[in-house]
Amino acid sequence: MASDGQDSSGGSGWLRRVAARRHISGPVIVVLGIGALFIPLLPGEFWTDVGIEILILGLFAMSFNLIYGFMGQISFGHAAYFGLGAYGTAILFREFTDGTGEITMTQFFVALLAGPPVAAIGALVVGYFCVRLTGIYFAILTLAFGELLFYVVFSWYGFTGGDNGIQRLLPPPFFRDSTVYYYFTLTVVSAAAYLMWRMIWSPFGYVLRTMRENKLRTEFLGINVRRYMLVNFTVAGAFAGVAGALWGPFTRSVGPLLLGWQESGIAVFMTLIGGAGYFAGPAVGSIVYTFLHAYVTGFTVYWPLTIGVIILLIVIFAPGGLLYSIDTKLIARLRGNGNSGANGESGNSSSGGEEP
Amino acid sequence: MNQTILEVTNLNKHFGGIHVTRDVNFRMAEGEQSAIIGPNGAGKSTFFNLLTGYHKPNSGRVVFDGQDITGKAPHIVARMGISRAFQVSNIFPRLTVLENVRSAVHSHTGATMNMFARADRIDVKETRECLLLCGLGGKPDEIAGHLSQGDKKKLELAIALASQPKLLFLDEPTAGMSLEETEETMNLVDRLNRELRLTVLFTEHDMSVVFNHANRVVLLHRGEIIIEGSPEQVRDDETVQKIYLGEQQI
Repeated sequence: MASDGQDSSGGSGWLRRVAARRHISGPVIVVLGIGALFIPLLPGEFWTDVGIEILILGLFAMSFNLIYGFMGQISFGHAAYFGLGAYGTAILFREFTDGTGEITMTQFFVALLAGPPVAAIGALVVGYFCVRLTGIYFAILTLAFGELLFYVVFSWYGFTGGDNGIQRLLPPPFFRDSTVYYYFTLTVVSAAAYLMWRMIWSPFGYVLRTMRENKLRTEFLGINVRRYMLVNFTVAGAFAGVAGALWGPFTRSVGPLLLGWQESGIAVFMTLIGGAGYFAGPAVGSIVYTFLHAYVTGFTVYWPLTIGVIILLIVIFAPGGLLYSIDTKLIARLRGNGNSGANGESGNSSSGGEEP
Repeated sequence: MNQTILEVTNLNKHFGGIHVTRDVNFRMAEGEQSAIIGPNGAGKSTFFNLLTGYHKPNSGRVVFDGQDITGKAPHIVARMGISRAFQVSNIFPRLTVLENVRSAVHSHTGATMNMFARADRIDVKETRECLLLCGLGGKPDEIAGHLSQGDKKKLELAIALASQPKLLFLDEPTAGMSLEETEETMNLVDRLNRELRLTVLFTEHDMSVVFNHANRVVLLHRGEIIIEGSPEQVRDDETVQKIYLGEQQI
């Protein structure tokens, strides 16, 4: 990371210049973003739908990484806010839908806007209790609250539809087209990612890192650690809620499993695959995970086995995630400095988020 | 006589059955530079912990700058202007030297709730000055965890100074430093004390450092203040010599 731009080894001009930059997420995101523009040009609606899923789940995983990679706490219940966002939108959606199953443009956007605040309020309440603890206790408490919220949604037939969920969330005709919904999702996810990007390089973002590195010292700097943890937890919940809000109109339905621990696990997997130490890590993880999921389930039912093997390979051969391996093995060589970049850009090189 | 900045009255702390701070009465005037000495386990670090809010005292009062800070949380005490450097360097190991200090500066200037501005463009000058002051001007981009022991202690001091405190506690500031570094660091502390009238209280095992850099020396033994006075008074005191030789039960 202490790259001072001294390039003693090969690589052509522009490649070296890019490599000499301290952080690889910027270039990675730009490349991915440009690539994302062309996905709907692929033949068939299938890949466009996969693209939407990559975007939404990628945003969900990136919001999770604000807590994990940057703040150093692991949440096993992050899907609760994804689900709350989805339900916040879906319930309003259901109320707006008239007898013929139609919804106006305005109602559609109002319903979408309802998701994130619902998720943020949920995260604020749960976070209030969770930030009192750290490490494994934090993780268990987030899991417990996540399952609690799952169960509330699962059993409250009158309001949430219980285990049936909410069906027939048909967006206005204009947004029914996959390509349109894809570009709409791309816009929203890009905007959310931009806000998160600003946040992680802001003074607040550095407080997250110092709390991860050394909570006691941060407190002695005059920082109210619990308050900052709570703010971040809530913000992360709100971004998960944005992802959730986009989900219902995409799949035309929501169900209680969106809040469950398996959904939370998806964010964890994506982050581990891509690299928790990098802003773009969860996005890369989402591409790998979602693409493989779409591909593998096409010919086998053994998806859990597949993803298990993948996670195993990552943990053994690329601990720190794919971006970490690229950063340290490939780009560091271009920089001519074997150690530079070794700490990622959140400064969190380990695959775990524990205190060092 | 200078104005009182810190006043400690009848401070007591028990850990289980162990009485680690006994009826400590202690006063510091603004601008003074004092040392606390005492054998290992005398309760020096506990005393700092009580003053900075890390431990809550069982009884007694701590008044800083006219305000009661007894039992207040560390972040509140820090905000009021008390800063501390730890005995074992307590830094942010995976961040760079610059990021370490900058975070401390931001916390002091109140920039830390800012979620949109770039951190590397705020308080650049203050951060730079603090690094230069502490002799770290040449290595802003090094990963803090990779620094030498001496540089880690310098960084520790830089983080403590970044908040421009009124009162500074240094727990063995020169532990792990070479002779030159020790001299450099203590000269810096002297300068801050002289030029900025920063009030300093430090613990130290190296007696030459204590006697050369403190106006006043306090001896703590088994949680009690045994004697306090000028360095010469304390050095020549018989009980002090016996405590350090470990002969006498008090």
